[in-house]
Amino acid sequence: MTFTPVLGLLAVLLLAPALPGIANRVKSALTGRRGAPMLQLYADLGKSWRKGVVYSPTTTILFRLGPVVLVCTALLAAGLVPLDGTTSPIRFTGDLVAFAGLLALGRFMLVLAALDTGSSFEGMGASREVTFAVFAEPALFLCFTVFVVATGDLRLQDMLGQPLAHTWLATAPSLLLGAASLFIVSLAETNRVPIDDPLTHLELTMVHEVMVLDHSGPDLALILYASALKMALFGSLVVRVFVAGAMVSAPMALGLLLIGLVVYAMAVGVVESVMARLRMNHVPQLLVAASATAGFGLILLLR
Amino acid sequence: MIPFASGLGLILLGGLAAYGLDRRPVLADRVFQWIAVAGCLLALAPALSLLFGGGGGVGGPVDSIPAGPDALFGIDLLSAWFLPIVLGVGATIVAYGVPYLGPERGHRRVGLAHLVLAVLLVALSGVVTARTIVAFLASWEVMAVAAWLLVIFEHEKRDTWDAGMVYLVLTHACTLALIGMFAVWQGGHADWRFAQLARSASIGPVATGLVLTLGLVGFGIKAGAFPFHFWLPGAHAAAPSHVSALLSGIMLKVGIYGLCRMLALLGPPPAWWGWIVLLMGLASSVLGVLWALAQHDLKRLLAYHSVENIGIILMGLGLGALGTAYHQPTIALIGVAGALLHTLNHALFKSLLFLGAGVVVRETGHREIDRLGGLGRRIPRTALAFLVGSIAIVGLPPLNGFVSEWLIFRGLLGAGLASGGLRVAVVVAAGLALTGALALACFSKLFGVVFLGTPRDPSAGHRAPAESALIAPQAVLAACCIVIGVAPGWIAPPVARIAGLILPQPEGGAALGSLGSALPLSALAAVLLLLIGLGWSARQWTLARRPQRSSATWGCAYTRATGRMQYTASSYASPLLAAFGPMSGIQQVRTRASFHTRAIEPILDLLARPLWSRVVAAAVRLRPLQAGAMRWYLLYAILCLLGLLLYLQFAGLP
Repeated sequence: MTFTPVLGLLAVLLLAPALPGIANRVKSALTGRRGAPMLQLYADLGKSWRKGVVYSPTTTILFRLGPVVLVCTALLAAGLVPLDGTTSPIRFTGDLVAFAGLLALGRFMLVLAALDTGSSFEGMGASREVTFAVFAEPALFLCFTVFVVATGDLRLQDMLGQPLAHTWLATAPSLLLGAASLFIVSLAETNRVPIDDPLTHLELTMVHEVMVLDHSGPDLALILYASALKMALFGSLVVRVFVAGAMVSAPMALGLLLIGLVVYAMAVGVVESVMARLRMNHVPQLLVAASATAGFGLILLLR
Repeated sequence: MIPFASGLGLILLGGLAAYGLDRRPVLADRVFQWIAVAGCLLALAPALSLLFGGGGGVGGPVDSIPAGPDALFGIDLLSAWFLPIVLGVGATIVAYGVPYLGPERGHRRVGLAHLVLAVLLVALSGVVTARTIVAFLASWEVMAVAAWLLVIFEHEKRDTWDAGMVYLVLTHACTLALIGMFAVWQGGHADWRFAQLARSASIGPVATGLVLTLGLVGFGIKAGAFPFHFWLPGAHAAAPSHVSALLSGIMLKVGIYGLCRMLALLGPPPAWWGWIVLLMGLASSVLGVLWALAQHDLKRLLAYHSVENIGIILMGLGLGALGTAYHQPTIALIGVAGALLHTLNHALFKSLLFLGAGVVVRETGHREIDRLGGLGRRIPRTALAFLVGSIAIVGLPPLNGFVSEWLIFRGLLGAGLASGGLRVAVVVAAGLALTGALALACFSKLFGVVFLGTPRDPSAGHRAPAESALIAPQAVLAACCIVIGVAPGWIAPPVARIAGLILPQPEGGAALGSLGSALPLSALAAVLLLLIGLGWSARQWTLARRPQRSSATWGCAYTRATGRMQYTASSYASPLLAAFGPMSGIQQVRTRASFHTRAIEPILDLLARPLWSRVVAAAVRLRPLQAGAMRWYLLYAILCLLGLLLYLQFAGLP
């Protein structure tokens, strides 16, 4: 029993809010602006947490419960990921289904909280959120399937841990296709360009932001933190696929993961700088293409 | 068997009392409710003792509680699994149905409806306990006709009558297929017992294939699997809500029971049958939920979700058949166990949702989702129960739907690790994920639009409050969903045993052991609930120290917002349906001055009805044969006689 899994969890929980800052900073640099400080989100979280709240008389307890469930499901899902490359704090056969299920529960409650306000804007955001999730979910499962078949195991700990390291060279093409697909899925799940633009505040172009218009104070802080954590989680999945090939000790693997997360955030920033957000009705096509990518990886393994 | 038989007797007695005491409605309601519920619980006792008592003393599929091999009815483990679905869920439906039909007293035959409901419950119990072909088919037919009578309860409405007729035709097509199946299977034997069917299992590959195909068609129609589902949405929407709950929660499951019983008696099916069932399940689940998303009618939407969930159950059964055919006992057992558990889970949460929909109908007087809204304030307890049902049906932790879907996911992903042809089945996992995500979209739309926000059409519906009388049965069903979701460990052993009984596995013991690992889900659910509890307390503690203010929902500076400006269910689903194009079953109706969308039933409206009108057109040509003149009929009789004589002459029969 080592302490690295818990250490990894703590590190990711603490460092998650830096990732959107890194992505935004890269974007600013590439577009010739100075941009906000890298640690801006920590300041925003602190400010929101200290503020008071405003509730619409239309809302019910669901509006208040949504952010809490969102954060809790993301926290629990983080416990399923082998951040140090050897062990997940929580692990059991088929826990990858629980990973997807927990994140879906968070999404469900956040969407209900949005609909609870009775606002057309938030209804629109909620509608888009679930629409894109419909296409992201099969892609995510196909990616998982690639790792399951490659490693022969149904636990995230092994799918992204040492068994993956042993099979890495033999199955590299499939794993790369899976990782590419997972990267696109992660952009959708964390509401980044080209699916959503977290910086644009034009109503017609928002997904996640428009859903949380009416949240304020600590509720908003919880939602902002959960989004950052979700970015760190999906980033960890992508990064683990790449660094699994390097068979190193657990503390080293954790270090590699954290470096990898920074690189992931920078990659997200680069994507945001070099391409525009897709038109809403083209997003499903991108995600279906992600499914197809993972599907090709799977076929290579099954052949 | 005595408690079982006397329990069923009590249910019938309650029904007769409701009918006989029609002049004294208060007494009739009271008597029916108490006696029928007591009868359900009494008849349930032997099944529960078999499931949870006893241990593994059950040898084969035909060994069971009844006395003697000649019994018409008997309870074995498989029957014992389906009896709680019929009678347990049935008891809540009876308890709900009495106050639900109360307002109809005076202008409809409520007493008769209660009697038919009692008969239907007894017939359903008969179907799942029958031990001979005749007892099975007789119970089956009583069930089919009783259900039809309940569907056309509001028969003066044209839609209701129409839906009832579609159901009646389909249910008899189903019975016909089953008679054909038994005829091929039994092969003219004089012995009509199921035990005999099990012994005559080696009937050759062609006959086996025919039996499996006819069985899949017959039971598939009853279960509402794609492409035989098209009777289901109309009938479920037209029936009174507690009957919809019964049809969807219980009667569809009888089709699943039939498939399980057929497999248990016939032995392991060939691989092609498993592939067909798996693909049928995939098509049912994806198309079912997609078409649900397109619906504007609350109860039709729920009905399409039954198609989806039957599809998930079929995926599990198909995986079981495939696992057996490809010698993968663990995958087979997990698949069948997932299917069985999902059967129970769907019975619980779908009944719960239909009962909730009934409260909405009683409170507002209509079922149009786009005109509802903000009901969470008016009927908060129903909203809470409906939320539990929604989370369960979407398959989210920590409720029961997640447990069974998790099992089926495990089976599908495990198939990817097998060797040989089974590996391809792993792709179906992505289909199941797609189904889950579509279900999330659909139920966030349904719950959000119906219960949250503000009323969209304030003029519609302010009827007498109905919730108080109708909440208890919903609470019971919601509690069951939560218990199975949080603590699936206690229900896993009987499920595993029954799964091994439907498709016996060579190394069943070892595989059964791996199924016992439902415990991590309990731990996960516990940690999740604990985290949410802690998070909520921390939030409350923090907010107690922050200023709170109430202000209208942000409206982009527009100050005169009304309920009608909210996002509607149609607009919510629109981008998703647009992405699926013509598959989504949405028809746009344009005139010069108006535009609206209509959700069609693709199979019924584009395939079955045109086909039917062709058949009718062809039949019209035969009409001259029925001229009505006696001399023609005498001629037919003589021709028939001649034909028979010739047959006797040339066929050389004794």
